[in-house]
Amino acid sequence: MEQDAQLVQQCLQGDGSAWEELVRRHSRRIFNICYRFTGNGTEAEDLSQDVFLRVYRTLGSYRSAHGGFATWVTSVTRNLLIDHYRRTKRDRQTDSLDDAMPVVENKESAGRRPDEQLLLGELSSQVQSALKKLSPELREAVILRDLQQLEYMEIQQVLAVPEGTVKSRINRGRIELARILQQMGVGPS
Amino acid sequence: MTWTCEQTEARLSDYLDGVMSREEGAAFDVHVNGCERCAPMVASVSHLLSDMHAMEQIEPPARLVYAILDQTLGPRDALSGWRAVLAWLRGIGSVRFAYGAVSMVATLAIFVTAAGFNWRKPRLADLRPDVIYRNADRQAHLVYAKGTKFVNDLRVVNEIQSRLRQDSEIPSSNQSTVPQSSPDKHPGSTESTPSAPKQQNRANDVMKRLEVLAEEMPFLVAPWMVGGEAGPRRMP
Repeated sequence: MEQDAQLVQQCLQGDGSAWEELVRRHSRRIFNICYRFTGNGTEAEDLSQDVFLRVYRTLGSYRSAHGGFATWVTSVTRNLLIDHYRRTKRDRQTDSLDDAMPVVENKESAGRRPDEQLLLGELSSQVQSALKKLSPELREAVILRDLQQLEYMEIQQVLAVPEGTVKSRINRGRIELARILQQMGVGPS
Repeated sequence: MTWTCEQTEARLSDYLDGVMSREEGAAFDVHVNGCERCAPMVASVSHLLSDMHAMEQIEPPARLVYAILDQTLGPRDALSGWRAVLAWLRGIGSVRFAYGAVSMVATLAIFVTAAGFNWRKPRLADLRPDVIYRNADRQAHLVYAKGTKFVNDLRVVNEIQSRLRQDSEIPSSNQSTVPQSSPDKHPGSTESTPSAPKQQNRANDVMKRLEVLAEEMPFLVAPWMVGGEAGPRRMP
């Protein structure tokens, strides 16, 4: 976190390599949030670019005393994702085709057997499909907590809602997601 | 403490996150174990959480970082002139490049040496393909011949050592057994027990061969064998 704050300071002084380092450190996480929220690789890529463009332009407004850089970037991402959701709502209602671009899953799964990898890939796509059926409020809460492993306090900062609301959304989101997966025929054997 | 289905649903995350008090947790467990509605819900959400925690991060496309940098810092200018040379030199200075270069040079040196190139008196003519081939062929034959000779020498040494052992054992066995009046002779057999002068001659012959061998290959022959030092310790 301190290193992020230092890099931000260097960026503000015009150091391009510091900005590059920040982008390399956070682009993967931001892409993952965008992908889990939209379920589309191309959209996730475009949104990630938008996020960093906005972060770059508003870097001067970041205050390390108010929280970590990662939380701040996640807040920017969340706001962009909600904007994007509202903007594309009509398109989604009219568009029945599922044009989700297949995304290459992480290849860091060294040591896993091929059948385990296959199972994990299948599971990932099923959860992804179920996530798309959740309301955006519940979806973002579940993604941040269970896929990005953020603490409640960080989620509270990102979503700018009270702790009780965060807990309630996460709880409802989990129950709803499990119900959707059960309807899809996925559940505990 | 009484527990209801509504409470189970409202506090499910607290239970799964392990932030519930012991009393509440016990009441939760009692209720879920006896509730047909809550038990499958708790099982499915618990299963979902373990599944989601097992899900891995997705690898973004490699172009993403460059696209972001191009959009924010602007497209990178292609280096030219001395800057390009400097950038190239910086690349050479990397550890990976140095490791690759050293490996390549070492491999090349091994091949050239194996092909018979003389590093002390290097000649350009030695690097001609036909000369390299001839030298490599010669080196291969030499190595084969040396190997064969070495194996043969080992065989000789082994034979000598076994004979020496036999010779040293014969007198002791003769002392330990009762002398026979006449040696056993099989009808039609020409073999006989060697006489003492014959044994002496053979021992002398073996000793001479051992001395020669010890001079050529001192690591193969122990000094005590040729009378240089005291012999090995023997069991009493």
